[in-house]
Amino acid sequence: MPIIRIPTPLRPHTGGNDTVEAQGATVGALLADLGKQYPALHERIFDGTDLRRFVNVYVNNEDIRYLEDLETVVADKDEVSIIPAVAGG
Amino acid sequence: MSIAVDSDSIDRYSRQVRFPALGEAGQRKLMASRVTICGCGALGTVLANHLARAGVGFLRIVDRDFIETHNLQRQILFDEDDVADNLPKAEAAARKLRKINSQITVESVVTDIDHTNILDLVSDVDLILDGTDNFETRYLINDAAVKLGKPWIFGGVIGSEGQTMTIRPGVTPCLRCVVEDSPPPGMTPTCETAGVLGPAVATIASFESVEAIKLLSGDIKALNDELIMVDLWNWSFRRLKIAGLLGKVDCPCCQRKNFEWLDGALGSHTTTLCGRNAVQVATRRSDKLDFAQMSIRLSPLGDVRHNAYMLRFATDGHEFTVFPDGRAIIKGTNDIAKARSLYAQFVGN
Repeated sequence: MPIIRIPTPLRPHTGGNDTVEAQGATVGALLADLGKQYPALHERIFDGTDLRRFVNVYVNNEDIRYLEDLETVVADKDEVSIIPAVAGG
Repeated sequence: MSIAVDSDSIDRYSRQVRFPALGEAGQRKLMASRVTICGCGALGTVLANHLARAGVGFLRIVDRDFIETHNLQRQILFDEDDVADNLPKAEAAARKLRKINSQITVESVVTDIDHTNILDLVSDVDLILDGTDNFETRYLINDAAVKLGKPWIFGGVIGSEGQTMTIRPGVTPCLRCVVEDSPPPGMTPTCETAGVLGPAVATIASFESVEAIKLLSGDIKALNDELIMVDLWNWSFRRLKIAGLLGKVDCPCCQRKNFEWLDGALGSHTTTLCGRNAVQVATRRSDKLDFAQMSIRLSPLGDVRHNAYMLRFATDGHEFTVFPDGRAIIKGTNDIAKARSLYAQFVGN
């Protein structure tokens, strides 16, 4: 199963796990499955059916916005990362 | 006996001049370069330190804050005397930098960067560096940089993690291509709520500094065109490919040239509440704040209570009353810059 990397600020919603396995053939399906496992997390990354604009998703280090967005196909060994912007400094 | 430093000498830079990719030609370009560093906290002090020592000819240091004891853990240009002297960060940094390198020109500007002054602060330099702690100022820098066609380097750090990217308008995606919108106030961790490690900030600022040296010395092909992410505590280093976003995202800033932050259409609006020793900071956003999450983050730092209509938080002589639309009244100061700084630190923007 593909794995999803969870960023530090969102780990309180996954019981502290930094990676989560999820099922699905596309990024959208994977994130929907993730949302079923962790409904509070879904709220944090989705605004209705769209990803929140301050959250970016990468498949193997590629931004899905120049791939096929939520329709981007993922294979078994792929790694999907949720990357929020880092504010401090 | 004191030995005077030869003011025209390039010898003091001999160890970096011997680095082949820089060389004497690159060093001469650095010495003729001008840079504005926006924000002189943890990132900014490391940036200023590296660039002053490397011999960048002109540094403008801009910051709105005064030095406090809890800054000394990571803000490397400051010491306990500066705290006792109640010095603004920009001024204390400039004094130290002039002692480090008397051959360069250092200008300190004690001000709150906003849409009315940013162009004056950056239009006469070759490069803008991000030493800020909030997205509001970063989007403003991004608008100004794209409008003027100037490069800038983004850096952000929380905890042991940081991000950086080098932005060249028209060549790379801009900040708004990559981060289309900032997290709503109260939704993102800040250095105050989540903590921050000095070495993590120093790492990101060092990445920014080496990119600055490449750029100013003319080695454009060596520049980073990815979003670099580092987590020092967990030994991770990632390079996220973002180049493909340029032109793919309908970016209001670099594609449509609609400079909403620079025009003042986006960003907070701040007013002193006369006679009340309080300042109101209003953001122009439609998201509703999550008071439950904010309470969890703020509770280790002071007394925090909330109901459906407001969240009240007291810390270090300041009391915040935050409303669901992100507007806040900060009691305990009449100083707009101080209030905006407190808002960025504890609410986040």
